[in-house]
Amino acid sequence: MAVVRYIAGRLAFLIPQIIGIVLVSFLLIKAVPGDPATLMLGPMATPQTIAELRAQLGLDKPLPVQFLIYVDKLAHGNLGTSWQTTRPVLDDLRVRFPATLELVTYGMLLALVIGIPLGVASALGKRGPLAKLGGFYGLVAGALPDFWLALILIYIFYSLLGWVASPIGRIDVTVTTPHMITGFYTVDSLLTGNWEAFRSSVHHLILPVLTLGLVNAGPILKMTQATMERTLEADFSLYGRLCGLPEKLVIRRAFRNALPSVITIVSVLYGFLIGGAVLIEIVFSWGGAGQYAVQGVLNSDFNPVLGFVIFSALFSLVVYLIVDLIYLAIDPRIRR
Amino acid sequence: MTEAMPGEPRSLVTRASIRQGNPGSVGRASAASEGPAVIEVRDLEVAYYVYGAEPTRALRNVSVRLRPGEILGLVGESGAGKTTLARAIMRVVPPPGRIERGEIFFMGTDLGAMGDAELGRLRGRDLAMIVANPRGELNPLLRIGPQIATIAEVHLGVSRKRGLEMALDMLRAVAIPDPERRLRAYPHELSGGMAQRIVIAMALICSPRFVISDDATSGLDVTVQAQVLDLLRKLVREQNTSMLYITRDIGVAANFCDRVDIIYKGEIVEDAPTEAFFSGPAHPYGNLLFAAFSHDAELRRRWMGSAPSPEGDAAEAPCLYADRCVKRQARCLAEHPALRERAAGRLVRCHFPVER
Repeated sequence: MAVVRYIAGRLAFLIPQIIGIVLVSFLLIKAVPGDPATLMLGPMATPQTIAELRAQLGLDKPLPVQFLIYVDKLAHGNLGTSWQTTRPVLDDLRVRFPATLELVTYGMLLALVIGIPLGVASALGKRGPLAKLGGFYGLVAGALPDFWLALILIYIFYSLLGWVASPIGRIDVTVTTPHMITGFYTVDSLLTGNWEAFRSSVHHLILPVLTLGLVNAGPILKMTQATMERTLEADFSLYGRLCGLPEKLVIRRAFRNALPSVITIVSVLYGFLIGGAVLIEIVFSWGGAGQYAVQGVLNSDFNPVLGFVIFSALFSLVVYLIVDLIYLAIDPRIRR
Repeated sequence: MTEAMPGEPRSLVTRASIRQGNPGSVGRASAASEGPAVIEVRDLEVAYYVYGAEPTRALRNVSVRLRPGEILGLVGESGAGKTTLARAIMRVVPPPGRIERGEIFFMGTDLGAMGDAELGRLRGRDLAMIVANPRGELNPLLRIGPQIATIAEVHLGVSRKRGLEMALDMLRAVAIPDPERRLRAYPHELSGGMAQRIVIAMALICSPRFVISDDATSGLDVTVQAQVLDLLRKLVREQNTSMLYITRDIGVAANFCDRVDIIYKGEIVEDAPTEAFFSGPAHPYGNLLFAAFSHDAELRRRWMGSAPSPEGDAAEAPCLYADRCVKRQARCLAEHPALRERAAGRLVRCHFPVER
């Protein structure tokens, strides 16, 4: 019951949080120089037509009024229209956000699969070869730019070996995209039994996911290792050994005590990558949300940018809520 | 209490086999006519290796012997080697420490000859340890019940359900109020005194032959400490467990122990039955400790001064206490004293033991 109240309390804060985020990003994007009307009409436009379009778009009104108009539309589920795609931002994001989410989710999963075992192994064999490998890996993963690694991987696995599909888009152009249910091509194609689409989307995911996974396993590895080293040396672990508990049990308990820190870094990375994977999206022409937002910023296309900010803010807030619930389940000390 | 302990038949079998395991050394150990030793430490040397420096000798030639049911107080200041001895007996000397020399026998069996798996089976079951800072020793994420029960499950092979029942019995034995509810509590919900009792329950759940209490009660309020000590003594007597009680507080040792060993710079300097020791320590350092806890102004004046100015240079191996000893003489700087028997059952490491 307390948990339900806790969730309700957190959700009640969601709306003011969103309004605050929208306000800040609205002001920031308005502070960026650039006039959408000028860009939309091109170099041949007369000042008069520009002024007319500005009036039509509501850009001539004072900033607070513009903000209230935006919030009013937002309250009705209208995120406005992108002048670049000429489609409602909501429709664009419905396709593009899952595209990014799919990429980032698989990337995070791979990062976990690499980072946690290597981190635990490094913590266990402090001066052993695995610890050295872990230390070296952490250093390299921190030093390599992800887009550069992506290009190297493309060169090796596509150009030289030809093992994967061409690094353009989420699926082969010749394959029909699966009917949209979740927006994850891999999931939707499985749900609709579209094997061809499944195969193709997996092929397209391999390299970008590999890039994200390899780069982001670094911080996860470091965090797992550092925390595990601490919990393995903690008094309760030493006392467990003194009580003759098997080493396996001591390690398992130490890992459990290390989990909160690992989950923290994962949640931070996950939220960050929604926008932070944009270079990968560009390299692989992914057509994701990050790319969409960057195009918006470059072309003074405000609505996609604000829409992206709202979407990723909501996503982050949900991730943090889930993380807090996990903490609550793991650590009794915060239940008070 | 004793007959209520489940798993007892099984551990008795093991104990019998341990007793028969190495009859030769038992025979040798019991030559002193006091019955077989539960723990016998012989000529133990432990050193800490620090890179680029001479290794620090934490224990020098330490021999300690505990009869069944005996409570031996080990008293000394911080850094004297008390905890190192405790860890060495449990064979968990933390790196960079190393056991250089000496043997440790448990019920006549050489612990040094045992493998890790075998030692792991002994630790927590027959060799238990009660530590200070009890809240740090408990896993903050696990409930009390399972933490205690796991030890019984691991060592006695009982089920989780039986383990929890035994844990409940132990909580009652250590006089924790409302024990059913405490089983489901987390460590942070307990007071320091309560957490200390939990650690005692964990240490004693398998009815060990031998318990080390490493400065375990010094963090408690004086009244709580007295309660916990009474409880500890009662449990130890009921189970006929031997105990090495490590403390800096000589007053507690006086009330609690059967025999007292004074340790200074890694050396045992005095070994005496409690009553004999407190009617008059023989070693100057024992007298200093005694005086420090006493209200007798005359006694304090006599023992708490500084050492007289040097009479010649220190030889290669002087008495380790010489630089602090108020009774120092020329011989103390020249020659390291041996641990000698001064009266029946009283050993002292001093050229000029205090006569009374």
